[in-house]
Amino acid sequence: MSDRTANPIVSLENATKTYGGIAALAEASFELYPGEIHALVGENGAGKSTLCKLIAGVIAPTEGVLRVDGEAVSFSAPKDASARGISMVYQETSLVPQLTVAQNIVLGREQAFNSVRKVRSVARQVLQRLNFKVDPSQLAGSLSAAKRQMVEIARAVLNEARVIILDEPTAALTPEETDHLFDLMKSLQRSGVAMIFISHALEEALNHADRISVLRNGRMTVTGPASDFDRARLIRNMIGDELKEEGARPAGSRTARSALPVLRVENIRMGSMVNNMSFSIFPGEITGIAGLIGSGRSEVAKVIMGHTKRNFGGGRIWLDGREVRYALPAQAVADGIAYVSEDRKLDGFFDTLSVSDNIGLGWLAKFGRRAVLAPLSRMRQIAREWEERLTIRGIGANQPVLHLSGGNQQKVVIAKSLVQKPRLVIFDEPTRGVDVGAIAEIRQIIRDIADSGAGVILISSYLPEILDLSDRILVAKSGTIAAEFSRSEATAERVLHAAVH
Amino acid sequence: MLERVVAVAALVLVVVFSFAIDGFATLGNLRVILTNSASLAILSCGMAAVIISRGLDLSLIAQMIAGALVFSFLVIGGTSTGISMLVALGAMLLLGVMNAWLIAYVEIPAMLATLASSMFITGLFRNTILDGGFMILLPRSNPTVAFLSGDLLPGLSVSVALMLVIFAFTWLLLTATTTGRIVQAMGDNFQAARLSGLPVRTTTIAVYVFAALTALLAGLITSSASGAVDFRTVTNGTLLFDVILVVVLGGIPLRGGRGSVRNIIVGLALIAVLRNGMTLMNFTTQTQDMLKGLILIVAIVTDNYLNPRDAETDTAGDL
Repeated sequence: MSDRTANPIVSLENATKTYGGIAALAEASFELYPGEIHALVGENGAGKSTLCKLIAGVIAPTEGVLRVDGEAVSFSAPKDASARGISMVYQETSLVPQLTVAQNIVLGREQAFNSVRKVRSVARQVLQRLNFKVDPSQLAGSLSAAKRQMVEIARAVLNEARVIILDEPTAALTPEETDHLFDLMKSLQRSGVAMIFISHALEEALNHADRISVLRNGRMTVTGPASDFDRARLIRNMIGDELKEEGARPAGSRTARSALPVLRVENIRMGSMVNNMSFSIFPGEITGIAGLIGSGRSEVAKVIMGHTKRNFGGGRIWLDGREVRYALPAQAVADGIAYVSEDRKLDGFFDTLSVSDNIGLGWLAKFGRRAVLAPLSRMRQIAREWEERLTIRGIGANQPVLHLSGGNQQKVVIAKSLVQKPRLVIFDEPTRGVDVGAIAEIRQIIRDIADSGAGVILISSYLPEILDLSDRILVAKSGTIAAEFSRSEATAERVLHAAVH
Repeated sequence: MLERVVAVAALVLVVVFSFAIDGFATLGNLRVILTNSASLAILSCGMAAVIISRGLDLSLIAQMIAGALVFSFLVIGGTSTGISMLVALGAMLLLGVMNAWLIAYVEIPAMLATLASSMFITGLFRNTILDGGFMILLPRSNPTVAFLSGDLLPGLSVSVALMLVIFAFTWLLLTATTTGRIVQAMGDNFQAARLSGLPVRTTTIAVYVFAALTALLAGLITSSASGAVDFRTVTNGTLLFDVILVVVLGGIPLRGGRGSVRNIIVGLALIAVLRNGMTLMNFTTQTQDMLKGLILIVAIVTDNYLNPRDAETDTAGDL
């Protein structure tokens, strides 16, 4: 196994990475020795990807030092890192789909005059050495996820990488492909390559890694040999103790107002993201949907809204017992459904318009669209009411929303939806990129909506948030609802277990 | 702001031309400038509304000629002016709805949809009405033609009066109506507008129909002034370029989201003064085109220099 007497090939000393004042990674120290397989575990947003991107030169640390072979380096681009033998295999693979496998493998190392035959034979050699059954002349776009990953690894090997970082390499693989991947990692290890892999499957980390590091809220909580850990200890380190206290507070004092669901969804299918998802939402209750990123939660929300189309014959949706099928979100809004988007900049707010214009347009969408002349003073007055009710702290009457803080922006998006007096509100990651003070306020807003009798869906990848707010918890996994818990039976361990396995 | 740069440039041009060209700074020449730019101004209002909603209408000039053609053809054939006007309005309504349907329902990008419809309209009308020809002459005796090319009051031509009416209407549309608010929201963030439940499809129809109607009006004014409806305006002219130039120089970004009548007037002022001055100085059309192209590039470079986009403005409010 790893040679502990050797010096670390890569080390981070007290590295901090902040985005706009919020630390994605705080004072993390990390060491990677030649020829070791190092697993990084932690919840979504714990800082695993940030740490890897720092090492791979994608981003630069705000504070702290990165050393390669004991020498302090500052990478300005991934190619600087790859010149030092560090390669990263991304979650979303970074192959060019229009090029062949061989062309992708030599990408960035081509000579001025490229011989197709030479390129192909180089690619074939490296693929054979790794025992990959991939045809070098095939187009990268036509490969399966597993094979794309193999090609990326082959590229890293050809680059003579001494450090390979794999970001959730097994997420898209079948069990057999996963076994093959770990066999390959073991053989690369024997030739002295050090590897970091991020995984949500704790068993993979326990069985295949030499050492494990656990991250929580941007901090390195523990690092040690894999043999020192077991499942329970890993989970304890991942979620921490403060969660226990939060979880112990009874959130679910609410009971559903009615046994009749406000929304019933049956067998929704959409592309490859949503596979037969079924659930019911009751009025006056917060239904949390937990799960990993990419488990199809936002997608099903957008299908309910009529924003994206489900597959042909891809399931049925009832609102208050009436079957609905929306072609446009406008129809869903008219029926009293509101969706608070997960990416407010992309499709949440109107960034150059003022706070009151944003909220006013939300009102206009539901109540004012028949009017020829816009009721501008009415819109302003309603906007002012909601600004006060949600304590939105603006920075001047006509300042664009773009310049507000993340928390205030999010409140604008929420106000824009609530002004429509919806019967069902879907919150998609409502506290992502929001400062700590505003998080508490936004959670209170969500509780108040449920108390007022509306049905609430809370989609969140942050487990403490789900446990804090939800009266009932659904767990989504690869496009289906894998488990359902009442608030009293839900614990972080059980929800996490259901989301991962 | 590009708008300010262009306004200053227009003022500078006025001063320079006043000294350099005899007869530029006269009341008579001002009247000529206004009358000559009336149809450009009206087209720019239609184009501006489309662009603010994050669209683009490349078929505007084809629609303009097609509308004028329908009207002229019927009038020459002896149909009454009223009915001819109604038929022409109906035709424009259809063309506007066709564009909007392709964009909002079939979801073809606006640039491609209107590029296709521009060619389609030109071909269709030349084939069916003109029998493959490219122009018809308008009888000056027709009361509508005489009215449109005449004066409303001494010193105020009908075309300038119509331009002012359209300015006022566009201002009202963009600032006071529900449609105007939605147009701005769509241009700002189309996905957010759609997800908030704003009626994006019907608003798209309204915007393209408005553009088609401005095209009809501009077509009638132009053909009444010249006495001919000529499809070579579509195929050989730079009018479409001028219209987009007015909108962009006025400071309305091509991605939409903001803009008002003030922007149109600023852009128009520069182009109208420039056209007039260059014509008075006997520049060839080729030189004029070259200068217009240069001015667009200089304006955009100046704007980028004065309002640099950097990582700071791009990531404001990320957290």
